[in-house]
Amino acid sequence: MIRFVRGMVRVLRMPCREHVALLSRQLDAPLSRGEAFGLRVHIVYCGGCRRFREHLRHMQSLGRTLAEQAENEPGLPADVRERLNARVTRGSKKN
Amino acid sequence: MFLAMMTDADALSRSTPDAEPVPVPSRTADSREAAARRWVVEHGDILWKFALARTRAKEAAEEIVQETVLAAMQGYGTFAGGSSERTWLLGIAAHKIADHFRRERRAKSPSSPPISPDATCVCATCRGMFTGKGMWACVAGTWPEMHLSEAEKSEQAEALRACIDALPPGQSEAVWLRDILGIPAGEVCKAMGLTDTNLWSRMHRARVALRSCLEAKFGLRKEKAK
Repeated sequence: MIRFVRGMVRVLRMPCREHVALLSRQLDAPLSRGEAFGLRVHIVYCGGCRRFREHLRHMQSLGRTLAEQAENEPGLPADVRERLNARVTRGSKKN
Repeated sequence: MFLAMMTDADALSRSTPDAEPVPVPSRTADSREAAARRWVVEHGDILWKFALARTRAKEAAEEIVQETVLAAMQGYGTFAGGSSERTWLLGIAAHKIADHFRRERRAKSPSSPPISPDATCVCATCRGMFTGKGMWACVAGTWPEMHLSEAEKSEQAEALRACIDALPPGQSEAVWLRDILGIPAGEVCKAMGLTDTNLWSRMHRARVALRSCLEAKFGLRKEKAK
């Protein structure tokens, strides 16, 4: 409980520059429960950070579109595969 | 989905003994060649799609896939099996792609410098995102409607792609691996040789820069924070 309150208070006392860094970090690693709660509270009353979070979510969604587009591309073409295997054979003989 | 495809393939590779990400005891030329042939079969498609999505040029993508497989053959003995074999190969491809863009940038005129986080974050009355005390100096406008038609979504995704291309090479590859291909952060760290903190700060700088870049592309005006 003490750890939770400490984490929350620490986040609430941060300037927005650091809230923004936490919003980004949250996409790569989970925050502690106190930090996550403090951040959620801050977002309620800070329009700038709220908008930043919306933008991050929007960019993630556009990223998924890019991933789908990439996936829909055909795989390794037969001629490229053939040349690649030939390079592997040559590369192997060099060593 | 790309991500789903990767997960399935990883699960599959874990279930087959010859695909375990453990180096073989004897790393003779023959065993390296056998491993490389297997990589072409199992991971050739995803390496090709990754390289093609980044470079959008078949010749360049082919060169990158070839360089990746050859470099992986050279470094076969150093693969410790900490990440999946696929992530390891994608990490090598990411380095090759970054090299490709570095070469390309050097060959270009200096009129297209990489974007910096604050480069586009200016409005009539404020400079930079934050004040000296770390509070918002300028607040971005609302972005175009979040519920988009397929055509609008593609158009915006294309804008994102162009913005990723304009990032410094090390950042754009991290964004591709993490935010586009959806590879777990821990695996991206291993593949790119970064610590957690390095990756977080690199991703944060990249996301802030992408946001500024997209705002410039969407033609939004910022307002001074109240």
